[in-house]
Amino acid sequence: MGMTYIPSTLSEALHLRAETGARPLAGGTDMMVQSKRGIGLAPEFPYPVMIISGLEELRGITKHEDGSVEIGALASPAEIAASDIVPWHVRMAAAGMGAVALRNSATIGGNIGNASPKGDLPQPLILLDADVILVSLRGETKMKLDDFILGSKKTALKDDEIIRSVIIPPHEFTYSFYRKIGMRRANAISKLSLSAAAVVRDGEILDFRAASGASGPKVIRSYSAEAIIRGRRVEDIPEVLDGFLEAWNAAISPHAMPQYRRNTTRRMLSHFLSSIHDGAEAGIIS
Amino acid sequence: MVSRIEFSVNGRKTVFSGNPLTRLIDVLREDLSLTGVKEGCGEGECGACSVIKDGRLVTSCIIPVGAVNGSEILTIEGIRDTDKGRCLVDAFAEGGAVQCGFCIPGMVMAAYALLSSNPNPSEEDIRRGISGNICRCTGYDLIVESIKLAVRKGGDLWA
Amino acid sequence: MPLTGIDDRVVRVDAAAKARGEARYVCDYTFPDMLYAYMVRSSIPRGTIDSISIPKLPDGYYFISAADIPPEGKNELWMIQKDWRCFAEGDVRYVGETIGLLVGPDRNILKYLLDHVDIKYTEGIPAVSIDDGIACKGGAIVGEDNVLCQLYVEKGKPMSEVFAEADSIYEETLETGFQEHVHLETNAAIVTEEDGKYAIYASAQCPFYIRKSVAGLLGIPQEDIIIRQTTTGGAFGGKEHFPDVLCGPLLVAEHRIHKPIKLVFDREEDMLYSVKRHPSKVTYRTALDKDGNILGIEGLVYYNCGAYLSASYVVLQRGVFHANGVYDFPNTYVKGIGIATNTFPSDAFRGFGAPQTLFAIETHLDHIARKFGFDPAEYKARYFIKQGGETITNGHIVERVMLPEMMKQVVDASGYEEKIRKYPIGSGRGIGISFYNHGGAFTGNGEQAIIKAHARLVKTGGRVRIEVGSTEMGQGFQTALRKIAAVVLGIPIEDVDYDNPDTSLVCDSGPTAASRSTMIVGKIVERCAAEMKERWAEGDFSVEKEYEHPEGHPWDQSTFRGDAYLGYGWGCAAVEVEADKLTNEIHVTGIWSSHDIGHAIDELIVHGQVNGGIAQSIGYASMEKMENRNGYFRQSSMSDYVVPTSMEFPKQEWFLVENPYEWGPFGAKGMGELVFNGADAAYIDAVERALGITVHRIPMPPEDIEEALGNGQ
Repeated sequence: MGMTYIPSTLSEALHLRAETGARPLAGGTDMMVQSKRGIGLAPEFPYPVMIISGLEELRGITKHEDGSVEIGALASPAEIAASDIVPWHVRMAAAGMGAVALRNSATIGGNIGNASPKGDLPQPLILLDADVILVSLRGETKMKLDDFILGSKKTALKDDEIIRSVIIPPHEFTYSFYRKIGMRRANAISKLSLSAAAVVRDGEILDFRAASGASGPKVIRSYSAEAIIRGRRVEDIPEVLDGFLEAWNAAISPHAMPQYRRNTTRRMLSHFLSSIHDGAEAGIIS
Repeated sequence: MVSRIEFSVNGRKTVFSGNPLTRLIDVLREDLSLTGVKEGCGEGECGACSVIKDGRLVTSCIIPVGAVNGSEILTIEGIRDTDKGRCLVDAFAEGGAVQCGFCIPGMVMAAYALLSSNPNPSEEDIRRGISGNICRCTGYDLIVESIKLAVRKGGDLWA
Repeated sequence: MPLTGIDDRVVRVDAAAKARGEARYVCDYTFPDMLYAYMVRSSIPRGTIDSISIPKLPDGYYFISAADIPPEGKNELWMIQKDWRCFAEGDVRYVGETIGLLVGPDRNILKYLLDHVDIKYTEGIPAVSIDDGIACKGGAIVGEDNVLCQLYVEKGKPMSEVFAEADSIYEETLETGFQEHVHLETNAAIVTEEDGKYAIYASAQCPFYIRKSVAGLLGIPQEDIIIRQTTTGGAFGGKEHFPDVLCGPLLVAEHRIHKPIKLVFDREEDMLYSVKRHPSKVTYRTALDKDGNILGIEGLVYYNCGAYLSASYVVLQRGVFHANGVYDFPNTYVKGIGIATNTFPSDAFRGFGAPQTLFAIETHLDHIARKFGFDPAEYKARYFIKQGGETITNGHIVERVMLPEMMKQVVDASGYEEKIRKYPIGSGRGIGISFYNHGGAFTGNGEQAIIKAHARLVKTGGRVRIEVGSTEMGQGFQTALRKIAAVVLGIPIEDVDYDNPDTSLVCDSGPTAASRSTMIVGKIVERCAAEMKERWAEGDFSVEKEYEHPEGHPWDQSTFRGDAYLGYGWGCAAVEVEADKLTNEIHVTGIWSSHDIGHAIDELIVHGQVNGGIAQSIGYASMEKMENRNGYFRQSSMSDYVVPTSMEFPKQEWFLVENPYEWGPFGAKGMGELVFNGADAAYIDAVERALGITVHRIPMPPEDIEEALGNGQ
């Protein structure tokens, strides 16, 4: 069992991280549950831990001049869902996490750092090509979230680094889609989720992308599958739809309930693209 | 670096110097004898241990006490004799919201947090506001109706 | 203080203390020098114990096992039979079987010790499913064929003759899964010694059951053990016999240690290592004429009982006795078999065996109706049993049956007629309907032959205290019983006391189970109160009365013939759903119900029971999936075994019909289980219609609907 520290500043936290390897614990909604030991007993971790929930430097949601939005690692799903500068897909995912109390406690940094395949926030963030900012005594690094999350519960976080924030580049989609399927209508862990987005101008699909959550060891984006749609004309969708769906199906690797997850993903993607083909009004495809 | 964890519970200053990973619920129930805070699941899923931390509803079973340094914690014991707390307790009793009662203190806290931020909630708002509080007895209808009753009876209390 | 009328709206007597967080559940109790206990459990489903190695125990720490049972005691818990061992000895029969208790003052140290207990087993091959049990996989667990209990009932002609006359036979098998109670308060108990007696504080439905069950462990009279029920945070049958499994080992520990000892399950323990609803497999073969009229039904009912009998034989009886639903079929033969497996013993759960067969018969009839092109509601209504009609056990329905009126209420309120036209099969929307009942109180003459309930009222000045062993577990009985007494006595309800029972102080009024408390205990209290009112001027005195069996309910428990129940509650429910065509998620858009519970003692309490029972029933049919693989339950938390939240279902519309029951207090019958018994089938009916699928098992989460859709294509 490791030591537990409560740093007061980010600088203290970075020193602790560098010197002891202490892992950050913020809202506790994942770590406290995974290491719980029962009534009246404190969780135990086989490594040192630092409770970073008090670090002001990791808070806040800001919009930069280039239109990108930076979300501090300690931002809660409640704050994210309520922020009108956060992109729609991310707000939807944040609003659909757990229930009120969890949304007040969990953090975006924790949701990313825990890298659970069922985590709600990585999926739309990866759709939006978000970067994660990692900070250490050595300085700051920026990397694509899709590269940062390596697999189930695995990230590229180095032993001396802390997740500082997430930066979402600006986008203007013509069409957007988001669905989370939980085990019930509220307060549920994700069984499957999907985001999709497209930019259509003058009948040409300039951008198309999708991200599948809870469908494999990490969030799945298939850039090669997306390329089947990207650059096509809307009226060509029926022609390429099956090929795209096959390519997407080949990219995902659901472990449990494979038939359900594959078929539902297929239906959702098909619905999104068919709606575009059928001339749906710009905006959210429901 | 924080070595002594200081926070307030129901307006009273508390100092904790043990293991910072000690669950807040254990500090509240066992050290402070605030047994109105119930443990239903120990993993933040059922809401029975709900308390209000700095104005926001949280589940005390998954919060390490080290994370509440400098915070203000409010439990059922801290609200039950306030006007708002009495209004809710009376409405829950009158409206038939209470059966086995184990989820109810947490449910009252959720309702308190909801009405404090949204004095005039729709039925949908109410259902969403208590969706993290599992009740196995009532099917929720009478809890929802009781919260509506608290809105009606409380009037300006919630504004 | 105003007097109370039986139809007055009263505030539940326990509501404010519970809402204020002042009610004390067993986890809220502490005693000086109190020790904690953790269970050492079997980690395999089947095998022999080769060795148990306990780490060196510090001073003040104990390992309690079968070896601590004194010579005058026996290692058995007395439920219906005495087959469930307090501690496993020699072999283990299910994952989680109690092997011992670790007891001591510091939970951190106990947890360390628990993590370092090393038990070596020679593993056997477990039988887990009903089919495994029938096949005697790994060799028989019980007897030669794993049959723990069985019975059959028959009515009318032999089915061989009926099948010979039939134009066609519709045969299908319907299955239901495990269901976990998820009472919000987990199982817990504290044992201590008070005034030379053992005292157990327990979250329990049946304090007298505990006393009876555990006294034999020490070979002492039941009276030497006092059971004090603490405020109980939900039970639903899960705290009927199961508290014995906690209290037994605690009593043995107390016998050795002589200090207060507290055992509280955390949620994971409560999920993995507690009793569940019996999974079932019901096969019906229904003989039909060319027009689809039912000539007779043959049923074969299997219940998965787990490794010990516990209450399974009685659960199975109730399942068989409800296997014809609310219908009067001319000929039936139903056989029930309780199969032993290496799973945690199945036990009581709201409905007590009736929900499984009621789901099966309702769904079976839906399928037959649809095959012949009839609307299921109209088809079923042809067979509604009526007053005087012959039951499946050759008894007769004594009361007026108001199913037609109830059906009309539900059909009108839900717009059923219009909706079945508006939502064609497979349209994505559907409305379903079901009919159900629940036999009140113990089977047959059990109330008279087995329980012989007593109740006592004690008058002190102007106050009256009710002394019964019946418990409040959330269902509202403390309020209902006080109301009955107050109304009869003509005094305010505030002047009637009724505390959580203490077995040393109150009469044994029988278990708080079988929806019997209001109907049976309420009636005895009503009779006590009537006498007390007449003698009111006599000063301080008490009145105690015994249960009186109503005339005209013949029953033979050896052949299961006669009036299986004294009376029935009746129900009708409609559920409307909308299926998401992308995801197969089912959204419930309307719930309507009507129930006949005689006369409601308190409508607000009844309202809460109706809402809660129906939500639990639709949860059972939709999302509550508890799987057991190789003897291990796969769902261990409230995030992977999910129960309905406030967002799941819309506000329910509900009705009662007035049909006073002659032998109940103020005309009341039982209702706590009835309201669980049918909404599951209505939900599945709606799902089948919305998606054009045929369902043969519950629960049906979206992934299973996907599979059914795939099979249908």
